Amino acid sequence: MKEVYITAAATVTGLGNDLETLWQKMLAGESAIRPVQRFATDRYNTANASWIADIEQAHGSSRIYPLLDLLLDRFGPVPADSLLITATTKGCIDSMEQISKGCPGDPCDVSAGAILGWLEKRYSLSPGINMNAACASSTIAVARAAALISSGRSEAVLVVCMDLVSEFVFSGFSALQALSSDVCRPFDLNRSGLSLGEGGGALLLMSGDRARKENRPCLGSIIGWGAANDATHVTAPARDGCGLIQSCRQALAIAGISPSEIVAISAHGTGTVYNDQMELTAFRALFGERILPMHSVKGAIGHTLGAAGGIEVAVGLKSLQTGLLPPTVGLLDPAPGAEGRFMSRAQQINGSCLLTTNSGFGGVNAALILQKGEA
Amino acid sequence: MNAVITGIGWVTSTGPGWAKGGQDFCMIPGAIPPIARKQLFSEPNQRFGRQSEYSKLGLSAIAFALRDAGLENWVEKRPIGVVAASVHGSLVTDLDYFQTVLPAGGGLPSPNLFAYTLANCFMGEAAIQFGLTGSTMVINESVSNGLTPLRMALEIIDWNEHDTMLAGICDVLVPEPFRDICSTIPGALFMVLTGKDSCIHSGYGNLSLSGNGALLYNGEKTASIIELAKRCLEDRKAGRSEG
Repeated sequence: MKEVYITAAATVTGLGNDLETLWQKMLAGESAIRPVQRFATDRYNTANASWIADIEQAHGSSRIYPLLDLLLDRFGPVPADSLLITATTKGCIDSMEQISKGCPGDPCDVSAGAILGWLEKRYSLSPGINMNAACASSTIAVARAAALISSGRSEAVLVVCMDLVSEFVFSGFSALQALSSDVCRPFDLNRSGLSLGEGGGALLLMSGDRARKENRPCLGSIIGWGAANDATHVTAPARDGCGLIQSCRQALAIAGISPSEIVAISAHGTGTVYNDQMELTAFRALFGERILPMHSVKGAIGHTLGAAGGIEVAVGLKSLQTGLLPPTVGLLDPAPGAEGRFMSRAQQINGSCLLTTNSGFGGVNAALILQKGEA
Repeated sequence: MNAVITGIGWVTSTGPGWAKGGQDFCMIPGAIPPIARKQLFSEPNQRFGRQSEYSKLGLSAIAFALRDAGLENWVEKRPIGVVAASVHGSLVTDLDYFQTVLPAGGGLPSPNLFAYTLANCFMGEAAIQFGLTGSTMVINESVSNGLTPLRMALEIIDWNEHDTMLAGICDVLVPEPFRDICSTIPGALFMVLTGKDSCIHSGYGNLSLSGNGALLYNGEKTASIIELAKRCLEDRKAGRSEG
């Protein structure tokens, strides 16, 4: 198996247009969750989401493109032989909204192929694929990228993930009674639902040999990955966490490490009653009663859906670099099983392996194990 | 890197079928006839009726492929994964759902329709109905010939992540103005691939990847999943495969 390095990472979220700003604001316990202004929310059970102020829908074109500009403008060079994998659940959903309302909108935007084409042109890359696996889309995209490099089938893979805050998605989660009426409070005793977010992440993965040859930094390595379906319910997680447990065990097996070598967890942590309880159950099955530092980013930047896993990988790299796990923003009173693990302040971590997980509609679960880099 | 094709199932504009079922396979443009619950499940199935047409389509083709491979019935969940390519995904359901949002200013959106506005929704249904616990994902491409999911399934088997995979395509007929963006034939077609080491019979033939990434059926290059299905069925009819 070849080493899989992450040589570049970027994010754009409600907390800022770059990873360093996101990181500093997360450490400070800030949240970007606030009333949405781009559509009326008076008929929904909340007005709140984490959104990016600097992206506007111009001439019927999707907000995805200014979001990608913000994400990639300082990303740096991408080798022309890189494979391209995008991850999004709803892509240019705002264009579909416009067309449905009879407003100007480009029907071409509605296809996921439009975003792929835009990125292929920007970086002169061969045709790529978009991964759609609900809220684990980008986690599975990164897992596939790692597997391609590890197996020697590719030397470099660019993963770009993104999703928007839209009335389409907002109304749907509101109808499912899944939105918190306030702000989301992952792993809190009184958590009442999720807060949506929008954002993007970009990661350049390379074989260790190629990265060394090109003098690229190693921000961290991906040493394990796994994905599984819990085969239980379309919109709710399996209460016993069977799919998440299977994903994590697969990732540990590929990494060739024992659970004791994991020093921190970036949980999916949406703030819904059932998701968070499922994760606590799964982590207890995997790690026993050990007090392992864990956190969720959702209270800071909302649930960014298909972009969540990619953004959380970028944050995970910073955690391993600095030895700090950011606060779980919104946490007031930890739920049973979360005490001592999830904190409203930053936690120190000692060691080199971090587990990051995501789960989603359709019974999807995915896990990645990151290892500390040299940069 | 190779695997045996052990099952083929489809739902097209000419109707549903599976290879050993004796139905003719033909994937041509046209509307998909409604799929009846009884064609899939002998017992009443509360989940089936509430699904979107896209979800029913994908679920049905997976069911027929599993039936063809002798994997339809199960007792314990199985680590079988699913990869599908879709050009338009859940677009038709998306449009239907958003029509429930618009009239009342967001007051009456349909939670049931919203649950089917993800391209991978039918995989969740298939996982529940058939106990599939492998990784499940839909991929979108600018141009799809259905070979990418087959290639990905072969890789997943080769990497020992799963021993059996379902791979295929799934698209419903989309309305104007979206129809002309990317031409695709409505319908769903899935194949069951099983790792060569653990397959006790030769199935419809061997699927492998050449060094340059070309997909080979019994050593010969194939241009699309539709062509591959036709060749498998022709070989079976001619007695050239166990099927």
